[in-house]
Amino acid sequence: MTAMLIDNGNITKFLDSVARDRLLVAPVREEDNVVMFRHVTGGEPVCLDYLNASVSPREMFFPATEKMFAFSTADGGLQPAEPAKGKRVLFGARPCDVKAILSIDPVFSGDFPDPLYLDKREKTTIVALACTNPSHRCFCATFGVDPAGAEGADLLLTQLESCYLAEAITPKGNDLLEAYRQFFSTASGGHAAEKNRLAGAAAQKVNKLDTGGIKELLDENFELPYWEELALKCLNCGICTYICPTCHCFNIMDFTRGGTGGVRCRTWDSCMFMNFTRMAGGHNPRPTRKERLRNRFMHKLKYHLDRYNLPGCVGCGRCAGACPANIDIRQIIKELREVAQNGR
Amino acid sequence: MGGNCACAAGNPLMPHTATITSVTEETGDVKTFQMVFDDPAVMENFRQKPGQVAQISVFGMGESTISITSSPTRKGFLEFSVKRVGRLTTVLHNLEPGCKVGVRGPYGNHFPYEIMKGRDLLFVGGGIGLAPLRSLIDFVLAEENRDDYGKVEIVYGARSLDDLCFKNGLMKRWPNIKNTSVYTTIDREDPAWQGHVGFVPAYLEEIAPGADNKYAITCGPPIMIKFVLSALEKLGFPDHRVITTLEMKMKCGIGKCGRCNIGSKFVCLDGPVFSLNQLKELPPEF
Repeated sequence: MTAMLIDNGNITKFLDSVARDRLLVAPVREEDNVVMFRHVTGGEPVCLDYLNASVSPREMFFPATEKMFAFSTADGGLQPAEPAKGKRVLFGARPCDVKAILSIDPVFSGDFPDPLYLDKREKTTIVALACTNPSHRCFCATFGVDPAGAEGADLLLTQLESCYLAEAITPKGNDLLEAYRQFFSTASGGHAAEKNRLAGAAAQKVNKLDTGGIKELLDENFELPYWEELALKCLNCGICTYICPTCHCFNIMDFTRGGTGGVRCRTWDSCMFMNFTRMAGGHNPRPTRKERLRNRFMHKLKYHLDRYNLPGCVGCGRCAGACPANIDIRQIIKELREVAQNGR
Repeated sequence: MGGNCACAAGNPLMPHTATITSVTEETGDVKTFQMVFDDPAVMENFRQKPGQVAQISVFGMGESTISITSSPTRKGFLEFSVKRVGRLTTVLHNLEPGCKVGVRGPYGNHFPYEIMKGRDLLFVGGGIGLAPLRSLIDFVLAEENRDDYGKVEIVYGARSLDDLCFKNGLMKRWPNIKNTSVYTTIDREDPAWQGHVGFVPAYLEEIAPGADNKYAITCGPPIMIKFVLSALEKLGFPDHRVITTLEMKMKCGIGKCGRCNIGSKFVCLDGPVFSLNQLKELPPEF
């Protein structure tokens, strides 16, 4: 596949041009320095000097609220939601978030393929932006993610001295390069070498936690006093699940505004919430914060692996940064290691 | 699995429209709804197996997971016996024949009726717990299947005479089928009731059905299940021949929305039917 260069000054022109032809989602710096993936239509500044966006780009395929169909309460007539229109580009996703998309892909495919997710997935070209300077909070390498790697991306951009190296990974990525060729120039072996040096340094810098023995510990022990300790702090606010790139839980809700019609939507939901598993009769299999917190971390460190053989955590560090109670999955990994080694 | 599932517009979360064709009042808070898909081709292609579930929509209110209580041997309609316990079931209870609903499914695994062939069957139910069992009872008692199975015993109880579901089956239809016995009990004395009084687990121990070459299938309130399981153990049933079906809050029914997991298993995909030995492998979170 092709590798090309794009000058720093050309990035905005390239994105403006893409935004004219396709639906473009890219990181944008908003008030209070918050970076979010937003639909950009061209002209507005796209943020390139960010560590990561506050909310993961899973939203592009699995929106926080998504209409599935409209219904008539009068005659039960149903009208499916319009399929996603045209080609899309997700620009600037970090390798951890791209890996997370790979982790939730099988949830939305399998025996009951989900057309809303898969349609958007198929129509989207993912342009990843390599992390050449991961932060102290990042620990993607723990779960086999290369911070400057391209797994799952169609096109990988890596920032060099005064330009970006753009490597097409898939035919989709190659097509994007070809379509906007005027913004790119030829890369040399020197550029590839510079990229490899930066990628190597990033891999050296990023935290790689030792998870040895944790899976086995959790396989054997559903009950651990540790969960109870941890749950004392947890507020069950759900922010960790909101910003997590691998959380895929949703609710299904009908919205009506009087009259004889309405829409059925799916909305993000959270296993941190009491009503998530509470049944109509009142029985709740996860009645307290302990069960709910345990479910979240078991999902990340065991259940998703059991079910899909894919990591349920990609080490983006968002949850640790956002938790109002300082519950930190890195700390949990360390402490579970201690429990595994010392039996408590 | 997915290929056989009835959903509209290629979206497994979008139901097909169906019409309620009859409503039977089973008890003060249980009604059986017979539903027929508006599209005859959808009805024809809906192939459920005993023990599977479906999602019932009341448009504007939402959806709920309900076990299909009619046997696949009875074609052209689906029946759902629904207890009025929450928001959706309350609204559903207000619907009458002719009302439109949505149905998608069938979902989940099913009672292992193939490996039960040639065996005797003991059904133990309590309250609305008879609803999912009824799909298998009517399946094995259907004329075309009856000779595939041995003796059928049904032990069923409810809080009161009024709370007995499927009275027609219990009192008339099932006892008159060859090699079939029905034992019914209610929790408390009632002047209008000549039958047995007492809790299901105790009655089961009293009847003391043999465990040889027999599968026990049970469903009911959690407290009943707990004591029934211990009674079945005393009677000599090995764990792999004790079958139950679990209830969980579900939204999607197809393993995506994430709430019906017990450990790494999703009840909507890997269940709702589990044998006791499978259940013992799961974390106690149900």
